[in-house]
Amino acid sequence: MESRNDANRETKQEAADRKKRTYALPIGPQHPALLESENLEVFLDGEVIKDVIVNVGYLHRGIERALQNRNYIQCIYLAERVCGICSGVHTISYCQAVENLLDLEIPNRAKYIRTIIAELERIHSHLLWAGVLAHELGFDMLFQIVWRDRELVMEILEELTGNRVNYSMVTIGGVRRDISKAAIPRVFKVIGSLEERIRNHMKVFLNDKILLSRTSGTGTLKRSEAEELSLVGPLARASGVHYDIRRDHPYAAYGMIGWDTATERGGDVQSRVIVRMKELLQSVRIIRNCLMKLSTTGDKIRLEKNCLAVPENEAMSRAEAPRGELIYYARSNGSDRPERVKIRTPTYSNLLGLRPMLKGQFLSDLPMIVASLDPCFSCTDRVALIDTSTWERKSLTENEFRRHIENRRREK
Amino acid sequence: MMLKGIGKVYRKQKRSTFIEVPRTKFNEAVSMLKKHGLTRISSITGYDSGGMFEVIYHFDFRGQLVNLKVKLPRRSPYIDTITGHFPGAELFERELMEMLGVEVRGHPDPRKLFLCEDSPSCPLRKMEAKHGKQK
Repeated sequence: MESRNDANRETKQEAADRKKRTYALPIGPQHPALLESENLEVFLDGEVIKDVIVNVGYLHRGIERALQNRNYIQCIYLAERVCGICSGVHTISYCQAVENLLDLEIPNRAKYIRTIIAELERIHSHLLWAGVLAHELGFDMLFQIVWRDRELVMEILEELTGNRVNYSMVTIGGVRRDISKAAIPRVFKVIGSLEERIRNHMKVFLNDKILLSRTSGTGTLKRSEAEELSLVGPLARASGVHYDIRRDHPYAAYGMIGWDTATERGGDVQSRVIVRMKELLQSVRIIRNCLMKLSTTGDKIRLEKNCLAVPENEAMSRAEAPRGELIYYARSNGSDRPERVKIRTPTYSNLLGLRPMLKGQFLSDLPMIVASLDPCFSCTDRVALIDTSTWERKSLTENEFRRHIENRRREK
Repeated sequence: MMLKGIGKVYRKQKRSTFIEVPRTKFNEAVSMLKKHGLTRISSITGYDSGGMFEVIYHFDFRGQLVNLKVKLPRRSPYIDTITGHFPGAELFERELMEMLGVEVRGHPDPRKLFLCEDSPSCPLRKMEAKHGKQK
């Protein structure tokens, strides 16, 4: 008994010592607070976060390398699979890059359809995000309700494109499917009811006392920090940075219709909620405007263009994904395959923002703050191939390899 | 925007300008861009042309992209860090280092980003990949 008491006393003292110094707490790669694999090394002083190191790479699939081994048409479908949520905007961005390589101007109708798909996708992504945030806050009722309404968008997307995710709608030179006249009234109807529901959710997010006390003043990111670290998307806009590719570098039909950007000055989780909610309402407005314009544009939705020999060129393409600016750099070499495609996804840019956001916050707020960034790690980890077994083979030259095999045969 | 004096403009597209600068003038060009009011680094692309390595820095300037290309010889692929002027380039430079094997001098945190620390480096180099299926 006595010895056990001694042991207890020691641990208490140890605990007291531990309180005084910072210690590192590993979170992830697999953790209930994270939706995808990543690793956060959190340095804590008691409950307060002193520093954080983000380690990524767990979802690396080698897509940039794989893009070099496929022809331009096959690449559309691979680019679509960079991200499971913002798949549409990846195809838009990739196809724009190839169109820039070919110096193509797509028909207006295709521009409107691309915009409609991109905005429907933004609604689905932002609603998904709002649900996840509510879930991280422990408000599971709201999470269920928001995701129930997200189903409306998913159904509309399925009706228009045939798929709930990975729509396969965009192609080089335009879009693959038209939006029929018969479908338009139904989209209008659903969009109307969605708008009403979004306004209701906005009321909850902006008035619920528990939500407010958790979100306001938490995870604050100053405007200067957001600018210095080149952060993008709703995260930067919530800190007062007026940066929206749809406005600054208009693509598809964004320069041809009326809409507004949403910015907030607070920089905390609350501001991020407001920015995204406002963007949802703007998305509804953009879709309405585009649908109305569809009746007055020509019928042509696609320019037939042969992509078997794309002349040597290099081009950039940018788009505003739900999470922020998405950049594609493409380079052609005269063949049917791209020489190099570089993808810069929004979360990759925004990762640096995690450190200033988390410093000085409580550990219990970490899941919510990380979720407020809307991180997408499958987007971030995609750059190149790592395969140690192939690498070992690669380190031998072809002749060396043959010799090695022959020697082994002889030994047998 | 004043792009004269920074380097040779070799390609101009809608809202995107490509400029080539020699490595010796790279630091000068970056500080000039910073002086012109560029604050945002959008991305860094590393490319292996087979002979030379090409590093392209994509800067944003009020909706215009300024792409600064630097060619590096294969034998001594090094370049100075730009994190002093553009702290947002930290992760992009780490990716450049591990994927292409370019040495970024003066980087504050030159660890690997996507690859694990003991992985054999430079998966985007062409020579190394020749022995596998890829060309």
